[in-house]
Amino acid sequence: MKKKRFLILFLMVGWITTLTFSSAVAEEFSVLGRPLQLFGYATQEMSFGFKDTYDTENSLNSALMNLFVEGDYAITDKLKFYGSSMLTVDWAYQLNSHRDDWNEKLFSKSRNKLNVDDKYWMLLKEARLTWTPGDFMFRAGKQIVSWGELLGFRIMDQINPLDQRRGFLDVEFETTIIPIWLLRADYYPKINSSWLQDLGFEFVWNPNADFIPNQDIMAGNADGGIWAPNVPIPGAHMATAYGRIDTPQRWKEGNEFGLRAKANMLGAMTTLNFFYGRDNSPVTQLVPPFMSPVPPHIFASDGDVLLHPFQEGHYPLLKFVGLTVAKEIIPLKASFLGDVAPTVYFEAMYAFDSTFTFSNPLSGGVLSRFGKSDDLRTGIEVAWKVKIPALNARTYFNITGEFFWRRIMDYPSFEEIAGYKKNNYQTFLSVNTSYFHNKLTPSFTWIHDINSNSNYFIPKLVYDYDYHWHFTLGAQLFKGAKPGQGLQLFDNKNQIYFKVAYKWG
Amino acid sequence: MKKVKIFVVCFWVLFLTLSAMLPILWAAEEYKVTAQDLEQYKKIVDDPRPYLKELTYKKILPPDVYAKLTFDVEEMKVQWAEVVGFRAPDEVGKIAPEIKPGTYSYKDKAKYPGLKELMIPLQYEEFFKPGGPPFVGCFPEIKVVPTRQYYLALPIAKATKENIGRTKLDDKGLIKEETYMAGVPFPKPEGKFKANQVIYNLLKRYIGHENQYFTATTRGFTRNLRIDQDMVNEACWIRFKGRVFMEPYGWYDERAKSVGEEFSFKFFYLSPRDMFGNVMTSMKYLDPDKYDQMLLYINALRRVRLMSATDIQDSIGGADVIYADSFIYSQKLSSTIFPYRCEVIAEREYLVPFAILDGSGYMSSKGMELHDYEWERRPMYVVKMTQLDKNFVYSYRILYIDKETFYPLLILNYDQKGRLYRSGLVISAYFPEMGMFNYTSDVMMYDHLDMHSSFSRTFVIPAPWVGRKDINMRGLVVKGK
Repeated sequence: MKKKRFLILFLMVGWITTLTFSSAVAEEFSVLGRPLQLFGYATQEMSFGFKDTYDTENSLNSALMNLFVEGDYAITDKLKFYGSSMLTVDWAYQLNSHRDDWNEKLFSKSRNKLNVDDKYWMLLKEARLTWTPGDFMFRAGKQIVSWGELLGFRIMDQINPLDQRRGFLDVEFETTIIPIWLLRADYYPKINSSWLQDLGFEFVWNPNADFIPNQDIMAGNADGGIWAPNVPIPGAHMATAYGRIDTPQRWKEGNEFGLRAKANMLGAMTTLNFFYGRDNSPVTQLVPPFMSPVPPHIFASDGDVLLHPFQEGHYPLLKFVGLTVAKEIIPLKASFLGDVAPTVYFEAMYAFDSTFTFSNPLSGGVLSRFGKSDDLRTGIEVAWKVKIPALNARTYFNITGEFFWRRIMDYPSFEEIAGYKKNNYQTFLSVNTSYFHNKLTPSFTWIHDINSNSNYFIPKLVYDYDYHWHFTLGAQLFKGAKPGQGLQLFDNKNQIYFKVAYKWG
Repeated sequence: MKKVKIFVVCFWVLFLTLSAMLPILWAAEEYKVTAQDLEQYKKIVDDPRPYLKELTYKKILPPDVYAKLTFDVEEMKVQWAEVVGFRAPDEVGKIAPEIKPGTYSYKDKAKYPGLKELMIPLQYEEFFKPGGPPFVGCFPEIKVVPTRQYYLALPIAKATKENIGRTKLDDKGLIKEETYMAGVPFPKPEGKFKANQVIYNLLKRYIGHENQYFTATTRGFTRNLRIDQDMVNEACWIRFKGRVFMEPYGWYDERAKSVGEEFSFKFFYLSPRDMFGNVMTSMKYLDPDKYDQMLLYINALRRVRLMSATDIQDSIGGADVIYADSFIYSQKLSSTIFPYRCEVIAEREYLVPFAILDGSGYMSSKGMELHDYEWERRPMYVVKMTQLDKNFVYSYRILYIDKETFYPLLILNYDQKGRLYRSGLVISAYFPEMGMFNYTSDVMMYDHLDMHSSFSRTFVIPAPWVGRKDINMRGLVVKGK
């Protein structure tokens, strides 16, 4: 079986590599007289950690390779098929296999989960058919439906799950969103009004043909690999979690429905959103024996005990209504800043009866139960292009700032909800510009968790040699003030990375 | 797992059934020319084939559409000469008359000093030479042909005549929009605001027919002439006011009239990979103080996003143009948004590569030179537009505009330090049987400070099938990734 899997992988790598570097591949073909566009890219990234603690390595952390192919075929003017496929391999498992430190810290044990993305839904990204008769659009297949306005925080965008097993930057921004099997129908009625310029309705149905939840960072080096969070337990480390997470039965359970009205009115883009479905992340609670060592690895390489949480959980219902508004605030245009007005994007969703894990603080979080509360998530983004001639005489700076507020409406008076206060605040700031005719793009991103006073910084420099070759040098830096809270869990994960990408088509 | 299989099987049954049915149902509805089609007739470099002799509208358009858009050539010639009051061949030949039709090499500069007088200085000094870094688009030799009369289509001539004298400017030289109906607003520019009238003739020109579809291939070049961009895009375009070719005539609809919509276009990328599936729509309003509205479907986000309409000065994705340079020049005249003082600084003939008739002009891969374009003497307006807002990217622009047709040929944009920043040369195709310059063209854009240049070939087809559904939110989502 392993041989067969290896052979399939080998053939796939060979096929994609051949396509990628073959001069015979043009971006557009003609198939049965209709245009077929083919694109793809190959990337290789290497990241190196700074610290030598149990939960990380001060050497090669990852060596991610992605081979991505996508194609768009217009069967007719109104019917087209889009498909994409990606192979992700983290060669760090091969390159580090000889290193004692890597093996003793049990990173090598996560190889089955993080070395090669070989599940069908990881290999097959999107496969969807779009039919656009008249004022309608119908789309069926494995696809992405993206709601919301904010770029940094995901508020309304709850339909597709995320793959964050390899950290927050992950492999490629576009492919951190996991396409799922959906049916979508859009209707855009003809509008003949001076105040309402555009109107659209979007209906989404997820029949739960295959339940694919969020792929979160996992606990314990043996599961989470280099990104396993450093949960502070005196004399111990958090290890692989055991237990049962119930998933909705395919087709029978977990059907999801989304309805969205979109309008372009009075110069603003506005949407009203309704969703009934399942949360893509589970709620879990500890069950006896709660936290316990499990042979054969009782002790970590640094002598601390490895404690395995035992838990049960499920994917709870998620029901929400939401609103988004995007509007450019032209009166705020200032000449000394380059005469571009800021555009404000607002999002708010109110979820009803969301399920949380309420834990008893006297038990150290061990005794817990599932409880319900309404949940308000809202955020505002300001995107502003400004001219700073002293730093860049030719090109503007793109500045994007966000503020996110999540309120657990019925927060328990005595119990706690792990990871949440009654009010939770986060901010996001991103700044970028470009030099040398868009060839060199420096950027800086800062995510700040106000409640835990923890930070995540991403300085990055991208060099676009041409439309084929792209080089990125960046770093991921974490700094938290309160042990075990927020982004402090990743304090030891600071790393620099270098990525080279070749894109074709 | 069994049900997943059933789902997948159903999916493919639907896919194949529709695949089999739909070509029959819709094959004739949306005719267009793709970049791939265009490539078959003329490659982007080293291809001297006169592609417009083969890729003709008679072949592409449905007969009824073609018949509606073609007119009697002799009548067009007469009518247009009446509209503008002259024929170009009668207006030229006064400067350097010794330069006769024939082929001239850059080596002949000393032998024919009249060339210097007759050509636009930038073209003579910087581009009449063998190809090579830093820019594409040098002409090592030029083929001079006799000056032609270019006439515009009968419906334009008719509308212009009907409305002659009706279009008014206010005391700031801005058009009173309610007085403009259709056609060329000021066929014989004159008076205090002559330059503004010329600019309005340019802004209101019929850039092709009212509903159209574009295909364009663009290559960007570094200062070493290394290709760093290779883009293919398509676009839809609708003119809402002053419609004379395609029904509905006049205003496109009540909404366009009540909102004051001038034109709108959708621009979507087919390549390169990172741009594929990005779609932008822009709505241009008649109100001189109202910004355009821009929506962008962002491929990586799979979302429609409202973009800043005031962001018109930054280079678009590393290209050699800014939004305000769309269609070489498309900035509205306004008293509040980056106002200009316009003046006609010259009104004379120039020897220029004004039009493409058969499409034999081409770019060579060696030195990225331009060959076989036809140069002719053209009577031209040279308009200097001085920007009154010191915060605008350009301190002034100089536009070379054909006097007979009001179509622009060349724009020079100078930064606030007075340096030539960007320039653009558009050699448009002319379709005699239609009396039409549309945006079928070869375009050279230059960034003189970053030493970057680009060459773009566009092919446009009249497309009555383009409608609001193609340029509204649906159009974004449908064409987006």
